[in-house]
Amino acid sequence: MNQPTVALLGLRKSFGPVRAVDGVSFEVYPGEIFGLLGPNGAGKTTTIRMLLDIFRPDAGEVRVFGGRLDDLKKHRIGYLPEERGLYMDLKLEPTLVYFATLKGLDEKEARRRLTDWLKRFDLYDHRHKKVQDLSKGMQQKAQIIATLVHQPDLIIVDEPFSGLDPVNTRLVKDVIEEQRAAGRTIIMSTHQMYQVEALCNRIVLIDHGRSVLYGEVGQIKRDFAAHALLVQGQGDFSRLPGVLEARHENGAWRLALAAGVDPQAVFRALAARDDLKVERFELAEPSLDDIFVTVVQGGARAEAAAAAREARHA
Amino acid sequence: MRNIWLVARNEYARMARRRSFILATLGVPLLILGVMGVSILVSIRSDRPDPRPIGFVDLAAAYPTLAPRQAYAGDNDVTVRVFAADEAARAALAAGEIQAYYIIPQDYETSHRVQARYWKTAPSSRVDALFRRFLRASLVQDQPEDVQMQLLRGVTFDARMVKGGRPVEGGNEAEFVFALVLSMFFVFVVMASGGYLLRAVSTEKENRTVEVMFTSVSPLQLIAGKALGLMAVALTQIGVWVVTLLVAAGVVSRFVDFLRDFVVPWNLAGVMLLYFLPTYALVAGMMILIGSVFTDMQQSQQIAGVINMVFMVPIFFLMLVFTSPNSPLMVALTLIPTTAFLTVALRWAVTAIPAWQLIVGWLGVVATAMFSLWVAARVFRIGMLQYGQNLDLRRLVGIVTGRGAVAPRGPHA
Repeated sequence: MNQPTVALLGLRKSFGPVRAVDGVSFEVYPGEIFGLLGPNGAGKTTTIRMLLDIFRPDAGEVRVFGGRLDDLKKHRIGYLPEERGLYMDLKLEPTLVYFATLKGLDEKEARRRLTDWLKRFDLYDHRHKKVQDLSKGMQQKAQIIATLVHQPDLIIVDEPFSGLDPVNTRLVKDVIEEQRAAGRTIIMSTHQMYQVEALCNRIVLIDHGRSVLYGEVGQIKRDFAAHALLVQGQGDFSRLPGVLEARHENGAWRLALAAGVDPQAVFRALAARDDLKVERFELAEPSLDDIFVTVVQGGARAEAAAAAREARHA
Repeated sequence: MRNIWLVARNEYARMARRRSFILATLGVPLLILGVMGVSILVSIRSDRPDPRPIGFVDLAAAYPTLAPRQAYAGDNDVTVRVFAADEAARAALAAGEIQAYYIIPQDYETSHRVQARYWKTAPSSRVDALFRRFLRASLVQDQPEDVQMQLLRGVTFDARMVKGGRPVEGGNEAEFVFALVLSMFFVFVVMASGGYLLRAVSTEKENRTVEVMFTSVSPLQLIAGKALGLMAVALTQIGVWVVTLLVAAGVVSRFVDFLRDFVVPWNLAGVMLLYFLPTYALVAGMMILIGSVFTDMQQSQQIAGVINMVFMVPIFFLMLVFTSPNSPLMVALTLIPTTAFLTVALRWAVTAIPAWQLIVGWLGVVATAMFSLWVAARVFRIGMLQYGQNLDLRRLVGIVTGRGAVAPRGPHA
């Protein structure tokens, strides 16, 4: 692989007594879409903010484009935060021109590029409207344009599909794919796991400030293959020992198993139950959704158990 | 520097396009022009020189006889006709030969009162003043010409402290009024710029744009750009007002005696400029802090209103400024950073402020401004990312002292 565009090494950040990020490390390479995943409050946004030099880490190192982030390197980054940020009282075009010039483009070039983007995102006829008069989806598209107009080498998008209808979701997906094909580095944070599966090469899953899962999506799914079952039959399969989550889909039950639970043990448990009749039992390739639930809920249960043990010993 | 310039330009353009700004910027000059027009009209109507002579009847023989000559006024053509008796003067008045006449009554030595007679319109204050000069001139007509001039011109005081300092001239009301207006304009600019800055910071927070901005510009560049852009907005506003005021004063002075000797108080303008920058920096720091700490504009503006009151305290002691400009209270207000600017502005017109007070007061403002900006810069980075909740005092102190930075509480961590 090439030199990583982004390398985070053992990042730590505390806010008072709260440790928001605790030793997060990962690398992201040119030409890949990297998924930054985790439940709410896991430390994703703090990690991104340290990556962007908005916060300084207490420990660890951030390397962007091979070194520390400076003003020139900032021009090579496009950031779409989850909290959308546009000047509501300004007209669309001047707002986008302003953001583009802050990224190093001259005004003329910014306008030229914006014309193409606005047309592609079907916003050209709305360019003289105030941002507050645009729909939520339009504002989202405008924000994506602001992220990409200066042709950044590193693109960080947080919930890029939020507020978009299926047609525009497809459009944004195509744009992200194009950027990857052009050799750019993309870090995507989203809770839409099917989008991660469709787009991302590799992921990191952060929970309670720590990296709990890191690697290629395919490999992770293979590693977790024993953690998901597909069961068809009669009865309620939602309450079984060792099963974290049970979803009824297309006439079958998809069971996400807790870490360390043997599928054979589940099979034996099913066989011992008179109220359940099994017609089909197979190992399922887990979805990222299943893996997310397994890791996060499993982690939460392990922590709760550890806390209970500590309380008993105290 | 480019980023600071871009932020400043954007802030300037955004604010200058607001309807409220345009109305305020053009409204005051319109008001000034309106006042100017009324002043000129009143002046023309009331002081339009009546070319007819005025009459003079000295029944008490109190003043030496003057040859009917042009009265001592220098720039007008009204002459004085002497009448021997009241009846003759009355007849001339009735015939419209004179505009009015003045009688020195027989009991003048005891009453010391002169009577004026007119047909329909009472003599204007200018004609009255003319007649008084005429009387004084008649008393000194035997003196050499230079002595006459000296006696008629009177004395202008030049009050100056023994230890040195700026002279305070007496008797030029126009300069006093202009100095007061100029001072108030400067104070307004500082407060207005601070208000604009607060609005800009609050809007940035409310619009959630700050996170995107931080990926392009540093917090310091963002603060500096906003502060400079909005200072330029306020300076534009005051520039339009001052130019209008100067033009109006120049035009009106041709018609109104009160403004005839008007001179622009450049020394005051210099001192105001000297105080302007650190005071603006002080206000800017406070407004950035408020905008960073509070979540919405309404709350921020309420707190800023209280801060503004602290800066405007000298206004409550306006009478004391005029009656006792060097009282201990005035000296104290000159030395307190938040009140120094306005106090100096007000005292300047009525007294010579000792240099030590100006220097100590100015240094105090500079030091406080630097502290205010330092605190604002520390709080800005975290406070601006604090969506939905105010920073409480404990968290604020934590950020400023660096003893345990606090997590921005928002939807994310």
